[in-house]
Amino acid sequence: MRVIEIAVGKDLKPVSDSWSRLADDAAPKAGEKVIVPLARLKSGDNQIFAAAKVGVEITGGDAVEDLKPWIDDLGLVVLRFGTFKDGRMFTAARMLRQRLKFTGDIRAAGDFLPDQVVFMLRTGVSSLEVADEFPLEAAKRSAKAYSVRYQHAVDTQPVAYEERARLP
Amino acid sequence: MYIYDKFDNTVVNERVADFRDQVRRRLSGELSEDQFRPLRLMNGLYLQLHAYMLRVAIPYGTLSAAQMKKLAHIARKYDRGYGHFTTRQNIQYNWIKLEQVPDLLGELAEVQLHGIQTSGNCIRNVTADQFAGVAGDELDDPRVISEAIRQWSTFHPEFSFLPRKFKIAVTGAARDRAAIQFHDIGIQIVRGDNGEIGYAIYAGGGMGRTPVVAPLIRGFLPKPELLSYIEAILRVYNRHGRRDNIYKARIKILVREIGAEEFTRQVEEEWALLRNEGINLPAAEEARIRKFFTPPAYEPAAKAAGEFEAQRKANPAFARWVETNVHTHKQPGYGIVTISLKPVGEIPGDATADQMDAIADLAEKYSLAEVRVTHVQNLVLPNVKQGDLFTVWQALGKIGFADANAGLIGDIIACPGLDYCALANARSIPVAQEISKRFESAERSALIGPLQIKISGCINACGHHHAGHIGILGVDRAGEELYQITLGGAGDETASVGQLLGPGFKADGIVGAVEKIVDIYLELRNPGEEFLAAYRRLGPAPFKERLYASH
Repeated sequence: MRVIEIAVGKDLKPVSDSWSRLADDAAPKAGEKVIVPLARLKSGDNQIFAAAKVGVEITGGDAVEDLKPWIDDLGLVVLRFGTFKDGRMFTAARMLRQRLKFTGDIRAAGDFLPDQVVFMLRTGVSSLEVADEFPLEAAKRSAKAYSVRYQHAVDTQPVAYEERARLP
Repeated sequence: MYIYDKFDNTVVNERVADFRDQVRRRLSGELSEDQFRPLRLMNGLYLQLHAYMLRVAIPYGTLSAAQMKKLAHIARKYDRGYGHFTTRQNIQYNWIKLEQVPDLLGELAEVQLHGIQTSGNCIRNVTADQFAGVAGDELDDPRVISEAIRQWSTFHPEFSFLPRKFKIAVTGAARDRAAIQFHDIGIQIVRGDNGEIGYAIYAGGGMGRTPVVAPLIRGFLPKPELLSYIEAILRVYNRHGRRDNIYKARIKILVREIGAEEFTRQVEEEWALLRNEGINLPAAEEARIRKFFTPPAYEPAAKAAGEFEAQRKANPAFARWVETNVHTHKQPGYGIVTISLKPVGEIPGDATADQMDAIADLAEKYSLAEVRVTHVQNLVLPNVKQGDLFTVWQALGKIGFADANAGLIGDIIACPGLDYCALANARSIPVAQEISKRFESAERSALIGPLQIKISGCINACGHHHAGHIGILGVDRAGEELYQITLGGAGDETASVGQLLGPGFKADGIVGAVEKIVDIYLELRNPGEEFLAAYRRLGPAPFKERLYASH
């Protein structure tokens, strides 16, 4: 697996990553950055916060509102796509940014298509966890495929009607 | 009509380039068919029984003459010389080669046409009243907000992978010609208590295997807030719509399972938060779009009126056509012409390239260069002077499209059925053809009056049989095509789902059964009573008893 950083208007960039998934019931080592499932976060197991940083992984059926009590303490939210057809993660990402005001890393993981990167960028996803054979070139193209936006989402670039309003 | 500016053109051109790359990756094997499928569907490309089928969007049913000519050109160059106008105001080409699709889309983009979101689990091409802007009974032009919805929904980053497809329809008139209550969201332009324009919102309607008439979830929504409200509906649906079973994934199932009241509560709760997140359309953009739909400078009418009267008197066939196919225009002296794409014995909704060209020419000469597509698979010339009607009628006769049957028994909707479709259980086109032949007589169909027959070749109901006054559903019973009959469906403002009458009929018996139903109606109707009204008064019993007594 590798991690790719994504940001509006920037090239996709493979980055080194120091997050690791914490085994069930294991305690984090000092200085470790650990990812736990939502259930563990909700279980009230406070020993996970002994880690240097805590991240959480959610899946399609999870409600992002459930992250609210910990939102300021989380460094990462992993959105796991069960299948690329499941679009719930686009809502999750957007709500994390706009409702929960989450400023940490939002990482897409699981089964998604490089062609979906364009939508991820616009809903607030900031990194991808992908298999080594992931077609990075196709994802790069997707990220740059569209220069006009018709609706506001998380990205802050002007949408078409704002661009029009600026025309002389 | 709306003309793309550089931003709209850029979107369509970038889409062509993006899809060209996706096709290349599919052809090289980089993309599997399973991965390519949602990508091609979002661009209207299906893999059918014999070939690829491309569905081209005609947003809210409005076409320029130049666009119609391009559609004719596409039919000639990339298909077998014809196209098929659908029940969602789109056109489909049935014999498309995958490797040619990028070039085809490039040609469409030259006239601001595309296949964006005509399929797939996304917000589909928005539909509207085909008489928008010219009907006398509308409060406001539905094309303005339809265009705003078209833009808002295009490549929506949050709603491009919904549980299932999502269809929105808009009407500006109380008389619903867009079947809004059978849509995922139906929008009716209404007046509020102080006379201000706003919207009534219906949600959770649909056809398919579970037909549902949409409940009204908001009686009045202030005009500036439409986009945030429908965004709230979409968000509730995207989060909570079922994804475990494709047949239960439409919003209608969610609304039914949690109840309209609870669904509405969730939408209102979401909307209270969303409405301040900058989603609504700014007034300046609304005004910009509205300018494109400024009524044209109509000519003062009266001068040709006398001639028009004389032509009707002298020519009963023309008079009959005017009676059925010309709708009252809001501008005195003009008429709205419905071009029936249902000639006796032909395929409903099909038009050849030559016919499309001829219609484009007529639009240029006689209808301010505009054509509309209706959700009952007909075309409309929205702005014809009464003095030109006779000429237009004669010209339509030359291309075989002068049948005086709009809204009558021959004006049948049929899905492509087993002749084309990979999902179908039975043929629908031949049934439509046989029925129209049986009721060939214009006098007889005029006597029968308004009667909508709608035929689907499978439970997915693309032929809208649930909304047919007489609905016909093709099913497969142990390898044999059988046709079930439903009665009393309606897709207008009195929307209702047709009721199954009884066991199905074989292919050789279905036309006779329809004829029998018509005969029973003619016998039992009150003077002037239309079929739907008579059925609603009589109920199924007299039809059932007599139809199956002799069966």
